[in-house]
Amino acid sequence: MRILKWWRYPGNWPIFRFDDRLLLIFMAAIVGCFSGLASVALNRSLVMMADWLDHYRHYWWVFVLPGVGAALSSLFLEKVVKEGAGHGVPEVIYSVSRHGGLLRFRSSFTRLISSCLTIGSGGSAGPEAPVVISGAAIGSNIARYFSLNDRQRVTLVGCGAAGAIGSIFNAPIAGMVFAIEVIVGEWKAVNIAPIAIASVFGVEISHILQGDQIPFGHHVFKIDYLNIAASIGLAVLSAGASLFQTYLLRSMHTVSHKVTAPLWIRAAIGGCAVGVIGLFLPVVLGEGYHSIHMMITDRYHQVLLIVALASFAKIAATALTLGWGGSGGIFAPCLVVGSLVGVTYHHFLALFWPPSISLGNEGYYALLGMAGMISGMLQAPLTGIFLIIEITHGWEVIIPAIIVSVLTTTICHYFEPASYYLRDLVEHGHLLRPGTDARILSDLNISELLERDCIIVHPSMLLRDFIGIIKQSHRNYFPVEDEKTGEFLGIIHLDDIRPYLFDPVMYDTVFLGQIMKAPVEVAYPDDDVLDVVRKMEAKGLYSMPVVVNNRFMGLISKATILDKYRKELMVQTCRSI
Amino acid sequence: MKLTINDVARCLRLPVSTVERWIRQGRLPIQRTDDGYIFNESALEKWAAMYKLPFSLPEEVSETTQQTKTDNLLPAMKRGGLLYNIKGEDVETVLKNGVENIHMLSHNIKDTVYRGLLEREHMAPTGIGKGVAIPHPRDPLKDMISNALISTCFLETPVDFHAVDGMPVFVMFILLSPSTKTHLHLLSSLSFCIRNNPFVEFLKTAPDSRAFFSYISDFENRLVKGDRF
Repeated sequence: MRILKWWRYPGNWPIFRFDDRLLLIFMAAIVGCFSGLASVALNRSLVMMADWLDHYRHYWWVFVLPGVGAALSSLFLEKVVKEGAGHGVPEVIYSVSRHGGLLRFRSSFTRLISSCLTIGSGGSAGPEAPVVISGAAIGSNIARYFSLNDRQRVTLVGCGAAGAIGSIFNAPIAGMVFAIEVIVGEWKAVNIAPIAIASVFGVEISHILQGDQIPFGHHVFKIDYLNIAASIGLAVLSAGASLFQTYLLRSMHTVSHKVTAPLWIRAAIGGCAVGVIGLFLPVVLGEGYHSIHMMITDRYHQVLLIVALASFAKIAATALTLGWGGSGGIFAPCLVVGSLVGVTYHHFLALFWPPSISLGNEGYYALLGMAGMISGMLQAPLTGIFLIIEITHGWEVIIPAIIVSVLTTTICHYFEPASYYLRDLVEHGHLLRPGTDARILSDLNISELLERDCIIVHPSMLLRDFIGIIKQSHRNYFPVEDEKTGEFLGIIHLDDIRPYLFDPVMYDTVFLGQIMKAPVEVAYPDDDVLDVVRKMEAKGLYSMPVVVNNRFMGLISKATILDKYRKELMVQTCRSI
Repeated sequence: MKLTINDVARCLRLPVSTVERWIRQGRLPIQRTDDGYIFNESALEKWAAMYKLPFSLPEEVSETTQQTKTDNLLPAMKRGGLLYNIKGEDVETVLKNGVENIHMLSHNIKDTVYRGLLEREHMAPTGIGKGVAIPHPRDPLKDMISNALISTCFLETPVDFHAVDGMPVFVMFILLSPSTKTHLHLLSSLSFCIRNNPFVEFLKTAPDSRAFFSYISDFENRLVKGDRF
């Protein structure tokens, strides 16, 4: 029994006792391994599904396959494991923001199964986000098992995400950057070291089980200055595509919610629509890694019109799959759309390009398009740059990749201040990055700010008695309570009695019930401090009584809020332990 | 040294709920055991210094609060003592003679005290009416005296202190205190006594110390009860 207890508290093991960073690194390695395994598992099952369903591709009814897959995935999520559809990354960010990274254990495998059904059957979605939520849930549950605190748990959630992305793309830097830039949102050495380790372990697991492969290897590009300059146009185009994709995903979501049919039927409708598109343009089906590979190695031979149409079709198919209740992420669809947009741009340029100057090949523009699309959708330029460079090993395109990523992010940010992942969270006030005003105010709660040293008075008290009380009090506010019932009635501020203070005639003629202020604005212990502060600002108040069941609990004042806020800010933003 | 969660909260001057939250969020350096936490004082001190947060042990906090507790009227009056038949025709002389007769003051500070009293007297007369004056220096004496004292000086002949009501002063309370807070507290208590007319009449009889101190102790009891109006 003792050994069991000892095992659950790794913080007390002699090796970790003097520095908890070592503990985090050790745990990160474990989390990285598990999330690597999760991603390999999903990858293998997708390949198996694709092989199995390949025999049915020539039948006319093949278009219902994505519908069946999406419906099954929706049924599984809704009825069997009782989880919401969607891609999962916002849920992870929400849990990091609000609940110290707490995620359910079942999240570590449910999305893998549901996304396998959706994508394997031909739905247009990506396997990355499901792997991210699995990895994050694994990290969170390992942290919970070992009784780690919130800060350590958040780091391990980031580790899970990093291991997953690193492993699925064979891209350790991209995994690390994604976890820090998108999931954790805090560039600190305490986070970076474990997340990097987890990413490396995730990638190594994938190496051991699947071999060291570059997902999208390509020929070496020859790039001159004119082609670099031309990438600016591509940035504008991919920004447009990202904005359109975001818009379509959201509007599909709204449209599907208006349909009164059950969730799984909606998912089936979306899936069948994708299947129909897929009959004419097979490029839209599945996660599309094969198509990306074709485009990046200049083997996608289609005319401008078809490629442009395919770009729109893929955007629509993704929106139909995810907006109507399928399960999966937007990473892979973004890469496909990005490469299609890149190839479209290449064909378009070829129409006007002077024959005397060599035009960069298709693969070059496809690659930049991917970088632009990822940066635009996620509004995470570093993730876009590193992911594309790592999955293609195209280090020679780093300069145009940076230009496209940064420009696309900037343009998208101008139109959509929050990325696709974060928009809902921002709208509902759930995005709380460490060290921000919203985070600090959400961490503080009313009971921590309560000042209880108020002297309570009664409405039938004479002013003379009250003046005696003022002498003993340190405060300017005096809550008034009913003598018999103890109910809170109102409040007296020193300013209220100032006019009568030097008039002894009033001492025995005025009762407090006559001078108290009622009704007054009150706060409740469960209120959000942010709301209370807003209320105080709107009404120009400096203090507010806190009331429970009509009983006075204490007072909260701006002075105390400032004092506690400052301490909280210091603890959250200074060097971490 | 090991502390409890309440000690830590008091050291940091924060509510216990904040400390609990900080532990949950992993912001405080603690050691977990199977049924709770262990707080290590030196680790916490180091941590607080790193974040520039105030951190001092509860014992020290209570000591400082005890120190700030002010003196009361009766002990201060007993320390200052009662002086009868102070000679002099004008303010300067009576003050000089009064200070000279205070036994509690050492010789080398008597001159400073006298100059302080005179300086204050020139700024505004300390005669508060009804034949009573409360001479005192403007600034507290700080390290020169350890405890506040009030010397009650009955003058041989009434002296004009330029009081508000123009009445010549027959008794003066020389009020000396180490801190402004004590000074204000004693001044307020003293003025409460003098507002009482029978007490002023009683003073005119130049009472002996026993009767005088019992009168004062009676006042002080009423003061503690908050019976000031």
